[in-house]
Amino acid sequence: MASADKLINTDVPEKDVFAFHFLQSLSNLRKQNPFDTPDQKNYRVRKIKKAAYVSMARAAGGSSRLWSRALLRRADKDDNKIVRFSRRKWKISSKRRRSNQRAPVVEEAAERLRNLVPGGGGMETSKLMEETAHYIKCLSMQVKVMQCLVDGLSPK
Amino acid sequence: MSNRRSRQSSSAPRISDNQMIDLVSKLRQILPEIGQRRRSDKASASKVLQETCNYIRNLNREVDNLSERLSQLLESVDEDSPEAAVIRSLLM
Repeated sequence: MASADKLINTDVPEKDVFAFHFLQSLSNLRKQNPFDTPDQKNYRVRKIKKAAYVSMARAAGGSSRLWSRALLRRADKDDNKIVRFSRRKWKISSKRRRSNQRAPVVEEAAERLRNLVPGGGGMETSKLMEETAHYIKCLSMQVKVMQCLVDGLSPK
Repeated sequence: MSNRRSRQSSSAPRISDNQMIDLVSKLRQILPEIGQRRRSDKASASKVLQETCNYIRNLNREVDNLSERLSQLLESVDEDSPEAAVIRSLLM
């Protein structure tokens, strides 16, 4: 799990950094809310999910990226609400729509992407692409580490 | 002539179509599925963006499922089992 992937772009946080943050959050979660109580299953799942996204943003350098900054800010805000980082509706203002002369299908697809990338709503298209690329890399790293954890903890 | 008018209307700095294609192709490189499926033909910008959205959605879904699995594992593990020892060592 912690083996450094030499091929990985230096721009992307190391898996160990994410794993470190994530395990620490899980450990804190466990102390606050012991995992052996059978109730509150969904609450726990939500907390774990949130811990994963927040750890990813921290591993990505916290506020050095627009998406990680947006993600952390939102995580702070809706601390006890259902966490769904990817579902923020963003309405295209008519002014913005008019000012775009690119093919409408492209703009539509870009708008959909804005809803999926944290903080994407306020991004210039070029910035959106850059942040999306980084976000995807981090997200797949996160999935890989979580999968490793699940595999490691699953009864053989 | 109509060019001049469209220039005036957009005040925000916009990227040109060429820059857009460049960015999209960069995005395309990191998406394994898209990169492999059609390397030769040029995928349209909207297609790449769409597949990027799907890719992110899939990753989000995977995080959902893995969170659920982790929650189950952390809750159901038998305190005397080797798995519990792993958890204890991980979550000191």
